[in-house]
Amino acid sequence: MKILVALKRVADPDNANKVKIPASGDKVETAGLEWKLNPFDDYALEAALRLTENGKNPKARVGEVVVVTLGPKECETQLRSALATGADRAIRVEATDEALDGRLVAHALRAIVAEEKPDLVVMGKQAVDGDNNQVGQALAELLDWPMATFAATIEEEAAGSVLVGREVDGGVCTLRLKPPAVITVDLRIVAPASVYSKHTDKAHKYADGVRFAALPAIMAAKKKPLAVKTLAEVTGGATPTASYAKFELPPARKAGIKVKDVAELVQRLATEAKVL
Amino acid sequence: MIEWSETHLAIREMTRRFVEAEIVPKLDDLEHGDLPPYDILRKMLATFGMRDMAQVRLGKALAKVKAREEAIARGETPPATVEREASGEEVAMQMIPIIELSRHCPGMVTALGVSVGLTAGTITSRGTSRQIERWALDLLTLDKVGAWAITEPGSGSDAFGSMKASARRVDGGYVLNGNKTFITNGPYADTLVVICKLDDPGSPRGNEPKDRQVLSFVLDRGTKGLTQSKPLRKMGMHSSPTGELFLEDVFVEKDRLLGETETVSYRTGVKDTFTSERTGVAAMALGIVEECLRLSLEYARTRVQFGKPIGEFQLIQLKIAKMEVARMNIQNLVFRMIELGRAGKGLSLAEASACKLYCAQAAMEVALEAVQLFGGNGYMAEYRVEQLCRDAKVLQIYGGTDEIQTSQIARSLLAG
Repeated sequence: MKILVALKRVADPDNANKVKIPASGDKVETAGLEWKLNPFDDYALEAALRLTENGKNPKARVGEVVVVTLGPKECETQLRSALATGADRAIRVEATDEALDGRLVAHALRAIVAEEKPDLVVMGKQAVDGDNNQVGQALAELLDWPMATFAATIEEEAAGSVLVGREVDGGVCTLRLKPPAVITVDLRIVAPASVYSKHTDKAHKYADGVRFAALPAIMAAKKKPLAVKTLAEVTGGATPTASYAKFELPPARKAGIKVKDVAELVQRLATEAKVL
Repeated sequence: MIEWSETHLAIREMTRRFVEAEIVPKLDDLEHGDLPPYDILRKMLATFGMRDMAQVRLGKALAKVKAREEAIARGETPPATVEREASGEEVAMQMIPIIELSRHCPGMVTALGVSVGLTAGTITSRGTSRQIERWALDLLTLDKVGAWAITEPGSGSDAFGSMKASARRVDGGYVLNGNKTFITNGPYADTLVVICKLDDPGSPRGNEPKDRQVLSFVLDRGTKGLTQSKPLRKMGMHSSPTGELFLEDVFVEKDRLLGETETVSYRTGVKDTFTSERTGVAAMALGIVEECLRLSLEYARTRVQFGKPIGEFQLIQLKIAKMEVARMNIQNLVFRMIELGRAGKGLSLAEASACKLYCAQAAMEVALEAVQLFGGNGYMAEYRVEQLCRDAKVLQIYGGTDEIQTSQIARSLLAG
């Protein structure tokens, strides 16, 4: 199976308090931010690796994973890291976040898909910086491919179809997709028994979470192919249809109040907060 | 080398993620609960492919020792002892995990370093091919825990001069007696290299303890007459168990004498051991200093006194500036060691001593300043600089005290 995994780097979500917005309010200050791979994309990569191996012997690959990102040269750090973790090839489309919106990214991915002809496109359900949750759906629409969003489990069937489990309110809904297809993943996709290729025994349990890259693999990642394309090459003349109008930080929290007893608390909850 | 490369940063990112996921949540148990570090370290070696790397390295070393032994057996002069070989990124691949471990748990580095570096390293560099095959691989993979015992209650800096532990020749082997102390991994070690002096009344050099030949032996846990104490209580490095060893008429067969010959004194070549031990301290110091600085910056930005963040006070700024100077200096020394490794070279003993002296002192000063910057909070375990401060102190003591480093630098310069 050949899988295309779309990745995006985001400002380290654990250091969200470092995000600054200039007085003009027209952009996010990116200087000094630490960059990490969008966690959901990290999970997508792990799912793709599991689908292209026998879990008992992960070193012997039984498929191909190509990772792609749109971003400046510095994004190659995240691509190299994905290559070290197990991806086979990488593609970077030169771009800046300001020049993109979800629709344009989907157009770019469509061009990459046309060239790479993967069986599956797997990506995070959304990037944690913008929380837009658009690209996977837009891409499936542009390709006219079947789509499963918020996947919690993926199982490759012998006949070549994939079963995708989606956790919905009150239960699990399972879809059967016939590749080629687009799948966006949620966090439980990296649980020990979430993803099985047709080569992996169902009794096999993965380590919880995403895998680590071994040090020799990090060294070897330098030599794996990384292609660079321009945005114009892949967008086919499409342009962004949404632009950022304004950014603002949440208002500073005001100090709370102290109450002297339970009676006052109940009275204030009833009359001021109006929650009782 | 002027900065970390993309590959270095990837190694750092990966090891940092491991430390944060596997070690940070267990810090309390490691620090205050006598949780031995070995299971976590084994997991680390397996996760990062270090087991396989150790196997490959050992295979190469073993092939060289065998070639040498065969040359001797054929009556040829064997090639001179091979230079220490570190190729490409090997030094960086060793140092970056040390730095990352030391940000949270420097004791882990000591426990690992003594088993993999000192104990397995000693057996690999001094043992016969049979001995290397028998003990080294299990130590390098940490399937077995190693300890290396030289220090005694009465012999510390004067390690060889005051050493009392003795080996007496008997039929079929030797009988060992003596006490060893401050032995890292001592309480849990499965394989122990014990350094003793040959008690030989017939020796032409005399049998005064100071003149005796120094030999080393490999012992297994459970050997009759060998007692391994419980962990000693100590100031810092709680995640690295330290103990005493008692040897009472321990009989060992001849094939446990390292090198299987009495003619090579342990004193010869011990400088190599010291040099590699001392370079590891630079990486540990960098981890401690980087973490102290990171925590201090965060605190100075957010801790408000007299109506403003304390980072706006010049006395706090002075501390931060001094920390940054130390960080840059130590990082430059680490870069130099990586660069030397790439060139297939190493530091001289004087240089290694100078690096160790500076890095240990700088780490201690930075950690103390960090505690001071945190004030009352710094004195509390919760704020973490307290632990790093206690841990840093041993860098000035083990692997040769500051005082010994100082005199070794001067003496080797004076000797020209």
